[in-house]
Amino acid sequence: MAVSGFEGFEKRLELQFFGDEPAILTNMGLRQLEFESLEQVLHAVQCTVVSAVGNPYFDAYVLSESSLFVYPTKIIIKTCGTTQLLKSIRPLLHKARHLGLTLCSCRYTRGSFIFPMAQPFPHTSFKEEVIYLEESLPSNLCYRKASVMPSKISSHSWHVFTASDEARTLISPHVPDVFYTLEICMTELDRVLARKFFKRPGDDKTGDTAGKEMTQLTGIGDINPGALICDFAFDPCGYSMNGVIDGDRYSTIHVTPEDGYSYASFECVGSIYDNHDDVARVLKKVVQVFRPATMSVSTTCTSHEVWTKVATALEPLGLKCRSCTMDEFPAAGNVVFQTFTTRRK
Amino acid sequence: MAEEGQVISCHTVDAWKLHTQNGIESKKLVVVDFTASWCGPCRAIAPVLAEIAKKMPEVTFLKVDVDELTTVAEEYAVQAMPTFVFLKEGKVVDTVVGAKKDELQLTIAKHATATATAAA
Repeated sequence: MAVSGFEGFEKRLELQFFGDEPAILTNMGLRQLEFESLEQVLHAVQCTVVSAVGNPYFDAYVLSESSLFVYPTKIIIKTCGTTQLLKSIRPLLHKARHLGLTLCSCRYTRGSFIFPMAQPFPHTSFKEEVIYLEESLPSNLCYRKASVMPSKISSHSWHVFTASDEARTLISPHVPDVFYTLEICMTELDRVLARKFFKRPGDDKTGDTAGKEMTQLTGIGDINPGALICDFAFDPCGYSMNGVIDGDRYSTIHVTPEDGYSYASFECVGSIYDNHDDVARVLKKVVQVFRPATMSVSTTCTSHEVWTKVATALEPLGLKCRSCTMDEFPAAGNVVFQTFTTRRK
Repeated sequence: MAEEGQVISCHTVDAWKLHTQNGIESKKLVVVDFTASWCGPCRAIAPVLAEIAKKMPEVTFLKVDVDELTTVAEEYAVQAMPTFVFLKEGKVVDTVVGAKKDELQLTIAKHATATATAAA
């Protein structure tokens, strides 16, 4: 492991709002936020928009340090490096209030940093993050829970904080969500495959064009073949993409290919009504692209046993399940955190 | 023409037909920006397109709101926004989907230089 390097592990924040007025939704809620407004929020987090696309359901932005998804009543920000993600909460809540939207639930998740000492406040520790979240969130989010889900490796845990209001907490178990989120973190990527995420020396292609090439060459384009992709290749290496699949679903991949601290993440939204083989197929393709030595898979779902399909999909690829932890969170439902390593470990 | 150097918004099918017909006759490159009022990325790229339009009067820039001109949007199979469609003599020569500044600039430059000198 290198002494220091770029932190690939992301911090992910999901904020769900509700609006009393139906007009808010016809005007597309949060999507009305002026671009300058979003940039202000991102500035607080120290990242900028690099590429973006929108469809009738949501807007997807590729950022200099990860991704942003804006739905009418939901916003998801995922940032890596040493960004201060939680600082986006206060400005976002302020702007949402102006649009007549009230926060009803919040979810914050992250893995374990490769370089925890390099993180700025409030990301210096999970404890600090939880204190900051507690102070930033309005009191109507009265059901809160913070948990560090362990694995057999002490340096690989999954940190979860959720908060929700009365309505969401009491109703949600009875009205299960159709959608689940899959968050995958991979480290120790295959060196040869990781090399594909370096820009060729002397290559003066722009980020968009080089990104498009990387999507094809690495096989990422085959993970969800029908998806609309927004991709970007960074200088001298690194890659980000957002995929828009089937209307209101997204997928997102971020790669830090440097040897010594290589990292790649894959996140997507799935539906409990999907074809049973879909999750397995996607997982297999993701592993083929990166061939990581270590992989963690976190599923968040209010119902449905999506997590059981993960191990069966990964074992034939040489990734053995080393740990499996489950916990229940207000409104978010069940979070299952599994870690896998190749047999050579 | 007073409209050179600007992005022309087409609010009716007639306006659309007029401007695209002008494009065919003048043999100029026509860049169509399909946008939606509720799409954040469209607002993000708008100033970039306006800047390019100012600097390239030899290219015609049109803007179409997909909710206003739904038939035109359907004709060009626009599903995500912004979608930039590049027309040469009425035919689609390229498409850029997404607010991708660099790719947009490169594609415009690529097709603009291939344009025969615009007829006055």
